[in-house]
Amino acid sequence: MSLEKLLENPRVWRGSSQNNRQVGLASGYPELDRCLPGGGWPLEALTEILIGQYGMGELRLLMPALAQLSAEDAHSSLGEPAEPGWIAWVAPPFQPYAPALQQCGIDLSRMLVVRPKDDSELLWSAEQALSSGTCAAVLLWPEVLDDQASRRLQLAAEKGHSWAIAFRPLSARHQPSAAALRLELQSTGQGTQVHILKSRGGRPATLNNLL
Amino acid sequence: MSRAWKSPVARRDTAPTLSGKQQSLAFTEPPPPPHALSLTPTPVRRLWFCIYLPNLPLEACRTSDEALAIVEEQHGIYRVLQTDLLAAEAGIMAGQSTNAALALMPTLKLEERSPVREQQVLEQLATWLERFSSFVSIAGNDVLLLEIAGSLRLFGGLPKLRQAIAEGLAAQGFSAAMAIAPTPLGATYLARAGRRVCIRAEENLSPALRSLPLGCLNWPEGQREALAGMGIANIGDCLRLPREGFARRFGAERLLELDRALGHLPDPRDSWRAPERFCANFEMNEEQSDRKLLLNICHELLLSHEQFLLARQLGTQRLCFSFFHLKSPATELWLGSALADRSATRWFDLLKIRFESLCLPEAVIAVRLRSGLSQPLQAETGRLGFHQKDGRQRRRYSIAQLAERLIARIGDQSVNAINMVAEHRPEYAFSLQHPLSDWSVSTLTSNTDIRRPLWMLPEPALLPADGNYPLYKGCRLRLLDGPERLETGWWDEYSISRDYYTAMNGAGMHLWVFRNRQRTPSWYLHGIFG
Repeated sequence: MSLEKLLENPRVWRGSSQNNRQVGLASGYPELDRCLPGGGWPLEALTEILIGQYGMGELRLLMPALAQLSAEDAHSSLGEPAEPGWIAWVAPPFQPYAPALQQCGIDLSRMLVVRPKDDSELLWSAEQALSSGTCAAVLLWPEVLDDQASRRLQLAAEKGHSWAIAFRPLSARHQPSAAALRLELQSTGQGTQVHILKSRGGRPATLNNLL
Repeated sequence: MSRAWKSPVARRDTAPTLSGKQQSLAFTEPPPPPHALSLTPTPVRRLWFCIYLPNLPLEACRTSDEALAIVEEQHGIYRVLQTDLLAAEAGIMAGQSTNAALALMPTLKLEERSPVREQQVLEQLATWLERFSSFVSIAGNDVLLLEIAGSLRLFGGLPKLRQAIAEGLAAQGFSAAMAIAPTPLGATYLARAGRRVCIRAEENLSPALRSLPLGCLNWPEGQREALAGMGIANIGDCLRLPREGFARRFGAERLLELDRALGHLPDPRDSWRAPERFCANFEMNEEQSDRKLLLNICHELLLSHEQFLLARQLGTQRLCFSFFHLKSPATELWLGSALADRSATRWFDLLKIRFESLCLPEAVIAVRLRSGLSQPLQAETGRLGFHQKDGRQRRRYSIAQLAERLIARIGDQSVNAINMVAEHRPEYAFSLQHPLSDWSVSTLTSNTDIRRPLWMLPEPALLPADGNYPLYKGCRLRLLDGPERLETGWWDEYSISRDYYTAMNGAGMHLWVFRNRQRTPSWYLHGIFG
């Protein structure tokens, strides 16, 4: 039996052939874009970034994409004259520093920092922001995020056409999650390594010295 | 006799004749100055809509579907004044003593008549009626008057306007007699007499009024009986009496009243002006702790609040609910909105979020809703539908609404916007703003040459040092970039003198550290390059 014949069998599922109409948002890192199925960050979905500690370059990884969302018409691809989306920061571990954000090209007039008191409020706030349809991206730092909560965030992101980004500790690596994309950031002596743990419609990969 | 009846001023727009002047002197009323009358060349056509509420004492007190009778003290005895249908079927009639009424129907609920409550209801109705006319007046204790000549066009004609008012009154549970006439008193008489008529032309008013029985005049019982004893059955008979004699027997006031009703004398009215702040109470018969029921009551209050603001084309940004208890002090619940708003649905959404976490110390006996200062409504620009190709509603609510919801649930201080401040000291180079406040983004642009960290520590953290190098988590930091000297703030007590460096630890973290330029220098961590 030849390989072609085998592939014609309808029971064989190939991730890359999946008809993925979703166009990703260019991350600003061409190497990463090549590894992501839509050629960029999957919008309208949950992205998880696993980090061992803060300051690994996790924000730098996102900044070009966030700046793009903040500057341009969020729904321009659909021909709808919508105003640019807001970026909500839910429970950031430190104070997002305005001058640095502006240097990165984030529009400060469209930024909302939310500091909920506990995890249930955090998830509620993130869900509200995601499903409101006004936030282009919602960044959140939950202490724990179980399978069910990640599914809710994923659904809220789809409903509000928003991009959810959850930052989680490395220990979450073996927990199940509904996220469309899971990245792990690890530092080596030279720089930061980005592992793509899970990518809907794509395949796992490792990128060295991206940041 | 009819010749003897001559009005002091035959027509409002003509100068008084000599005879009219002489006659009006007989009424002990000063004659209207002739020049004042000549200044009104064309009379403004007015049309008065009268709403007469004969059952107001009953309707103002009704809270449940039980059989109810309103009692009033007459000569030391409580007697039934009005009954509802259920009580009337049981044979209870006005004028019965309370004992007789209770003997007929032991389950009858008796309420004492409350003029204060009636006046409140009248004011509520007047407020509601302001949507139909710019001129609403409360006359006496059971009559509302609207000047509708200016409203006819807007509401699509008299029948539609009348229907809208009638339906609105019925929906609020009021039975009203309505009539329309060119003078307020004329309309009142017609309504009291139960004539559902509409008289638009002034010349038709007099014949219509002449046929009305004396019962429609709100005169003392004794005077009406005296008139009846003279064989006077209707207003027309009254008008045929000699003026002097009539004035002497019944007072000049009565004569002038008839003149006003017929339009011979002007009849200025006070316009009702609703208060600009909304305040409404809902009192319960017994204490309630059912939260669902309380929410429903709040919804009712919000609906009337919406109507209140609708009549004024206003909105409000703040609302306060007070829940009254019998023993504890009232529990207050404040709601805030980003934009002046009046929609009951939106306020109710916010209330539901807050109400979940509201702690009520004991059962509630009354609820009060007070609105903050009213403001002109800020309309949100809607979008035309052509652009929505997929037909889906993308935006559920605006950012202001989102911020409102977040604030309602997690508190005022927990939701912020960020702004830049022109300041060299890093910790003061930004400010947190209330997202609902009106703030403009500073046009400041930061210097792109100098790298700043994305994360800022709430305050600089002291780092232990190993000789000339700082330690972070027991690991020596490698200085990559720097120093950048910041020496400023000498004009206040928070002056700084620091050398900033970008440092990296073994795990690849980029840190923003500084060394204090003092006699004993020490290292601090100030930010993290996320």
